[in-house]
Amino acid sequence: MESETMVMPYYKVNVLTGTKAAKVIADPAEGAAIIDRAKNPLYIFGPEVIATPVGDKLLIDYALKIAKARDIPICATAHVKKKMLEQGVVPDSTYDIIEIIHFLKDKEWSGVRGKGYHDLVLFTGVRCDLAERGLATLKHFAPHLKTYAICRRSHPNADFALPVIVKEEKWRDYLAGLIGALGAFKS
Amino acid sequence: MQKMRDAEIKAIIRAEDAWEPVGPTPMPTLTELRNWDFRLLNTYEPFYAPFCDLCCLCTYGKCDLTGNKKGACGIDIASQQARWILICSLMGTAAHGAHGRHMIDHLIEKLGEDKKIDLGSQVNVEAPIIRTVMGLKPKTLGDLRKAIEYVEREMIHLVSATHMGQEGDYRDFESKAFHAGMLDHVALEAADIAQIVGYGLPTSVADTPLVDLGWGAIDRTKPTIVVVGHNAVTANAIIDYLRSNDLYDQVEVGGLCCTAHDVTRYAGGAKVIGPLSRQRFFLKAGLADVVVTDEQCVVTDIPQLAKAAGAAMIACSDKICYGLENASARETGEILRAVLEEQKQFLILDPEKAAEVIVRAALELAPKRRAQKQLVTKEEGAMLAAKCRGTCEECNRVCPNLLPVSLGVSQARHGNFAKLGELFMRCHGCAKCEEACVNHIPILRLMQAAATWETYKMRSGRGPIHDVEIRKVGSPIVLGTIPGVVLFAGCSNFPGDIDDLAWLAEELARRKFIVTLSGCAAMAAAMSKDAEGKTIYEKYIPEFDAGCIVNVGSCVSNAHVVGAAIKIANIFAGLPNRANFELMSDYILNRVGACGVVWGPYSQKALAIGTGAVRWGIPIVLGPHGSKYRRLFMSKKEAGDWTVVDGRTRQLVDTAEPTPEHMMLVTETKERALVTIIKQCFRRNDTPPGRAIKLNSYISAYKQVIGGLPDDLQNFIRTEKEIPIVYKREVLAYLKEAGWQPKPVLSLPTIIGTYETKVPIEATIK
Ligand code: SF4
Ligand code: SF4
Ligand code: SF4
Repeated sequence: MESETMVMPYYKVNVLTGTKAAKVIADPAEGAAIIDRAKNPLYIFGPEVIATPVGDKLLIDYALKIAKARDIPICATAHVKKKMLEQGVVPDSTYDIIEIIHFLKDKEWSGVRGKGYHDLVLFTGVRCDLAERGLATLKHFAPHLKTYAICRRSHPNADFALPVIVKEEKWRDYLAGLIGALGAFKS
Repeated sequence: MQKMRDAEIKAIIRAEDAWEPVGPTPMPTLTELRNWDFRLLNTYEPFYAPFCDLCCLCTYGKCDLTGNKKGACGIDIASQQARWILICSLMGTAAHGAHGRHMIDHLIEKLGEDKKIDLGSQVNVEAPIIRTVMGLKPKTLGDLRKAIEYVEREMIHLVSATHMGQEGDYRDFESKAFHAGMLDHVALEAADIAQIVGYGLPTSVADTPLVDLGWGAIDRTKPTIVVVGHNAVTANAIIDYLRSNDLYDQVEVGGLCCTAHDVTRYAGGAKVIGPLSRQRFFLKAGLADVVVTDEQCVVTDIPQLAKAAGAAMIACSDKICYGLENASARETGEILRAVLEEQKQFLILDPEKAAEVIVRAALELAPKRRAQKQLVTKEEGAMLAAKCRGTCEECNRVCPNLLPVSLGVSQARHGNFAKLGELFMRCHGCAKCEEACVNHIPILRLMQAAATWETYKMRSGRGPIHDVEIRKVGSPIVLGTIPGVVLFAGCSNFPGDIDDLAWLAEELARRKFIVTLSGCAAMAAAMSKDAEGKTIYEKYIPEFDAGCIVNVGSCVSNAHVVGAAIKIANIFAGLPNRANFELMSDYILNRVGACGVVWGPYSQKALAIGTGAVRWGIPIVLGPHGSKYRRLFMSKKEAGDWTVVDGRTRQLVDTAEPTPEHMMLVTETKERALVTIIKQCFRRNDTPPGRAIKLNSYISAYKQVIGGLPDDLQNFIRTEKEIPIVYKREVLAYLKEAGWQPKPVLSLPTIIGTYETKVPIEATIK
């Protein structure tokens, strides 16, 4: 089945006014395959990851598992670093969201681990209206990379987005499904 | 034509006045500062975040600008964003300019164009912006009108450039937006000086009175007039009418937005109800007997809100007529009868007539409206919320601040108002949630039962910074031993709690920054009390000095903080400012650690102010909603070219030091804003002891709110002497790991000489 494109996200301030909308990745296995295929992905953690519970865990617990599963470097924006340090994880980079997007635009940039530009950028926990603006920047000015917004509120300006997921259990299932499916493509 | 223009300029600025020689750029036109702009843009590239994939400006469109596509006219996506930025900056400049024009014309009519400008014994450099930009030392109200005429003249060319098929390059659009921003500052300064002179507002005094702030400050037993907007001409006429009729103590005058600032500068008994975000909330509470609108940032459905609350409503500005009948020429008694008997709303452009109608209507209406001034109780609130199960979430989806409205309302249904109270602290009062609610729950009214009704103390706006204050702090600011001058300006579109502003201001004041505030930000900063019940205005000094909290006043008073930066170059460093824009801006960029913050940006005026500040060399930090302005200015940080000229040797030097790091950026949370503001105050001119003090602030704040050491210290430590003693071991170990190399410390850094300009390098040295 052909995936749909996203027009109306959860937050109406993020409605797409344009022609180029995200492909909706409803099946987490499809999402895992996108991540698996990436050569040099980057994962951006926004402040919601340390403030939002998902079931009896925090969103960051899931996001860290996704990053660890494929050894994806993490950019801890806002004040996420503090919580990560408490959990014994040192982020690869601590640019704030707009700064990292500014660097991602530049294909010549060395990337957070010095391996050259990132071809896939994952986003979780960035304030939804700000994330949408940053995704629009990358959509228009970074043709060398793809973005995947792992956010239940959905993001039309990303290349890949989730459908709107209202129920928390479904959101947890999506995250767990993604973690479970990662690595399948490569192995 | 140039000759004719030169002669005209000489006459306008009285070139023969010998206060300073006329510099290279008197009354610059669109292209005269273009080289300076491009020099800034080389280091600080525009960053665009398009709102829309399309352009729909002309009838060729809509044009799809995604990928490498161009519009039918040939424009690309970056230039289209830049054009939009210019259009919005022009709106902002026009709003301030027209405000200034109205204020000045009104005062000239009352006091004559020869009314002298006298800002008191402490302020000799009365108009640093107008002096620098135009080369004019304004002496009278008539001279201030010349400043507005200059703004008007330039604006027609700028607006023209936005037409389809005109300007076609994003850098030139940005240069023009800078021009609009700089003109905005000219207008701000002219408008505020005019009202200080014309109304005798405070000047040459730091310790202005503390005034009451908050919706709870309004005495509900008295007739209540609420003035909304930014132009206090009518509000001041209301005060005059009350005073001359012995009614001053019997009637409440409260303001929303900047008119509140300016009316409390005029009359200490007036009250500040709150910023823009509280307009709808307050008007729905029904406490106003008469609602008065002037101009700018007034919610557009005020006539309906007033009607629903049973209040009278008078519009007083030709900018906002609401389709109302213009009663300016009608007789007062006749208008009053129609207001009281037919509940008619009017436009009245004669301030004195409007004032009489407004006061008399309030006196008549108040006794009849007592029942309408009852606030919603918790029991009533629970009933209003009864139908909400919290599951449809339509309210959440439309909230522009992404708030969990459904949670607040559904808990209120059970009589628990705690969540709704929290929500209220973050609410912008847009009423989108009410509009979307499938059960038509009046959510903003419901908030009456959840909101705090406290009264706070705010120091009323003090206007210009004194020359003697500049002499005192000039040296420590330029050496870096005062870690920075921060201005919190602009609107109340805050991403989080309204009292985050007070937190940010206090974190900086206790680190000995000079903290200044204006507009809605100055109001929000009052909305937090410590354990002893004190606001930051009661806890910190009001003088412009290390560790102060200074409210300069309304939006137009922002001019005084930019003015203070210019005065440091002019009074403290002794550089001539007359028609010397580049010289002043170069000094500020390299040596004055100033940073502007708009934590709750929404208006085009705030965009114009911020864009103008960048042209002056003052970096701007925005809250997340600022991303919707869709343009920022950012450097490549350590990968950029940071070569400047050493004024002493006239040699080019690669400083390898990204300061100031960015010229306009958005930060997501208050924690990140704090460390970013501190960092944006670093300057190339900092002495090693000064840099050590700044780094101490940076590291301490970073450890407090983000954790660990900042991972860019290697960019800002130039010599080991700059490492703060308390962190020495830790930082040395970090630097070793990061492969740090010492960097040159210049005592006269300048970018004059790194681009083509009429300003000689010698001019930067006194
Ligand atoms: S101005 Fe240009 S891009 Fe915009 S609609 Fe007209 S032709 Fe298209
Ligand atoms: S009124 Fe407040 S809670 Fe409701 S949508 Fe607007 S900002 Fe959100
Ligand atoms: S839209 Fe109305 S009924 Fe639905 S959750 Fe929100 S407040 Fe409750």
